Amino acid sequence: MNAVFALSNVVIKELYRRKDFYVLFILTVLITLVMASASLFNDDKIVRYLKEICLLLIWISALAMALGTASRQIPAERENRTIFPLLAKPVTRWHVVLGKFLGCWLACGLALVVFYVFLGLVSASREHTWPVLNYFQAFWLQWIFLAVVIAIVLWGSIIFAAPSSNATICLVFVLGILIVGRYLNQIALQQSEPMRSIIYGIYFIIPHLEFFDVRDLVVHDRGLVGWGACVLVTLYGAAYTLFFLFATWLSFRRKALN
Amino acid sequence: MKLPAPSLILLLLLTICFSLATYLQPQTMKWGERAQADSMMKALLGDGRRIFANHFFVKADIYFHSGYYPSIFDQGHREESHSRHMVEGHDDHDEEEHEKAMDIGQPKDWIDRFGRQFYSSSHSHLDKPGQAREILPWLKLSAELDPQRVDTYTVAAYWLRSKLGKPAEAEDFLREGLRANPNSYEILYELGLLYYENHHDLVRSVNLWELALRRWNDQDKAGKKPLEISYNEITTRLAQVEEEQGNLRQALYYRELEKKASPIPDAVQKQIDELKQRLASKTVSQSLK
Amino acid sequence: MNGILEIKDLRVEYPSRGIGEPVKLALKGLNLSVREGEVFGFLGPNGAGKTTTMNVLLGFVNATSGAAYLFGVDVKEPIARQRIGYLPELTYYYKFLTAEELLRFYARIFGIPRGETERRIDNLLKLVELEHARKRPIKTYSKGMQQRVGLAQALINNPDLLILDEPTSGLDPIGRMKVREIIQRLKNEGKTIFFSSHELGEVETVCDRVGILYQGELKVEGRVSDLIQKYQTNLEQIFLQIIGYAQPVNS
Repeated sequence: MNAVFALSNVVIKELYRRKDFYVLFILTVLITLVMASASLFNDDKIVRYLKEICLLLIWISALAMALGTASRQIPAERENRTIFPLLAKPVTRWHVVLGKFLGCWLACGLALVVFYVFLGLVSASREHTWPVLNYFQAFWLQWIFLAVVIAIVLWGSIIFAAPSSNATICLVFVLGILIVGRYLNQIALQQSEPMRSIIYGIYFIIPHLEFFDVRDLVVHDRGLVGWGACVLVTLYGAAYTLFFLFATWLSFRRKALN
Repeated sequence: MKLPAPSLILLLLLTICFSLATYLQPQTMKWGERAQADSMMKALLGDGRRIFANHFFVKADIYFHSGYYPSIFDQGHREESHSRHMVEGHDDHDEEEHEKAMDIGQPKDWIDRFGRQFYSSSHSHLDKPGQAREILPWLKLSAELDPQRVDTYTVAAYWLRSKLGKPAEAEDFLREGLRANPNSYEILYELGLLYYENHHDLVRSVNLWELALRRWNDQDKAGKKPLEISYNEITTRLAQVEEEQGNLRQALYYRELEKKASPIPDAVQKQIDELKQRLASKTVSQSLK
Repeated sequence: MNGILEIKDLRVEYPSRGIGEPVKLALKGLNLSVREGEVFGFLGPNGAGKTTTMNVLLGFVNATSGAAYLFGVDVKEPIARQRIGYLPELTYYYKFLTAEELLRFYARIFGIPRGETERRIDNLLKLVELEHARKRPIKTYSKGMQQRVGLAQALINNPDLLILDEPTSGLDPIGRMKVREIIQRLKNEGKTIFFSSHELGEVETVCDRVGILYQGELKVEGRVSDLIQKYQTNLEQIFLQIIGYAQPVNS
């Protein structure tokens, strides 16, 4: 595991030495504060729209970071040829995949903590309450979501030639699931065979990433998700993450490096 | 040939740009609405902003339901007048219809059932005191994007004056709407309500409702098909106020108008008959005096 | 098996890139042995199969047939690479890391304890003359400095066998001289070195034995002095004769 932790450490260093995180965080802070400063009918207790905007920016930023960081990891190793001295050490390709995944995931997790602390401060300034458990659930589920996304992107980085095309395809895939994934069963019911079975099949196969999005519950104070459901959805996310990581390894194992 | 200094070339290019700008600026004013946009949103989005305005108006409705909202894929979902639902108290029948329209149905499979734990999947409204304030930012944004959408002003004003204790802000917003839509009978009616219910200024509210009625008639004559329900509301209010003031003849006049647009003309006719009786007895008592 | 590095009947075929194109035969039954403590120069023109051989030794490419062993362990096993150091040709190390961070990263892969890591980093940076730039990001390094930091990473685990792929390629004369000095010093320390190069003069001065590879086959192998005596000319002329660019001296 030394190799895995060493690799993940390098990825984390890369993230905080690049300017992406700082730019995204400053943008989030600025936009949220500008929205907060708007005078809305002389009412300074309105908070839900602020939480919604802040959470939307957090989701966009986290997705951008995950896609950007994960999509360039393995291609950059190959392009700069650092993969050669790396694999010339007692490091397997599975270690590389796992190390890159862990690095991206931990780096995104650290960034998420900063973002969620900011969200907490913004909402507390208006509501004067600290729904810590709600924020923790939202953070945790989003972090699991990012694990699945990072694993998908890592797999894409082995299949697609350019990091930009990989990031774009993965973005469309992830947004597609987030927007219509939940409704594919209803769309299937409106189709005739064989489309109905095909769409239903897709509905059951795709990772239902919308499970991890509890922004609605946080914004509208709808209370906590049951902890049992939280554990189940974490296992669901972990299973898909492992599936995509394993697929990444299978593709990477056969890939010629030169 | 020796080229002049690069700074001189830059200066020359800048002069050309400036001259062209002074010539083109008045021309572009004729090109469309965007060129004369008076707001940032209009300048950025042009007429496309109206789509966003509608989106934010719906967003206010979603907030009113605490995030619960049927999607376009949900079977039970039907178009309904968001503004009316957000504003008015419903009778049992309305509530039943509303529940039906908002129903997202039973879960269809285990993914559906499990997934419902992670989003707002039960129907509720912003009922607690002060909670309604949360819909206001989206209405404000909707009005910024599409000032010609009158629903936005009336809905926001309703909540501001009746649930949030902010009649001054409601009046300001309605007047802002009136400046953008000077012929809107809906805004005039809502403004009349504000004077009637919040300021208890009968004279001004009657004036405003009479003006609203005139605007309604103007639009009707112009073939713009104004809403009958609004006509009914205006005439009902006018009749009520006149009745309260003892102007029975005037009240009778408005009841007659109300009857034309009312969905329950028999009930209105009953009121007309009562008014006629009262008017007759009043005339008799006056003649006896 | 008495060599640190053993290659037996190694055959590597690359699949055809398009329909109708033939399979490319990169190595045709290569046999080679490198003994402990010697410096072995692996020579050959471009496309001879030198890099393919190294790629098989490092596990980047799978052999079609035959086998290769490092310290008696099949190269397919990652543990075979525990005691080797590898310097690839033209590598751009993680630009955002400093030299000492890069060495710390590689040391961590080998599980070297922290105190020992710091001691080794100091020694290696002294060896490759990069002490003054140890806290600078690698992106600010010249090509020669990058090659020397590459050499340092190859030595972080104190390897018994060093595999160097064109270690002086693309360097200026001073850079070449510095790398050559380091190799000489490592040789004096008793390290086994297996390296490929186009710089025949450098090979002649540094190597104990050489092998000349041409079209996937090992044409000549032996001690440098023996070859010079046998062919009655210098290594460059021998190389050119073998690849068919010059006439043999006795003819």
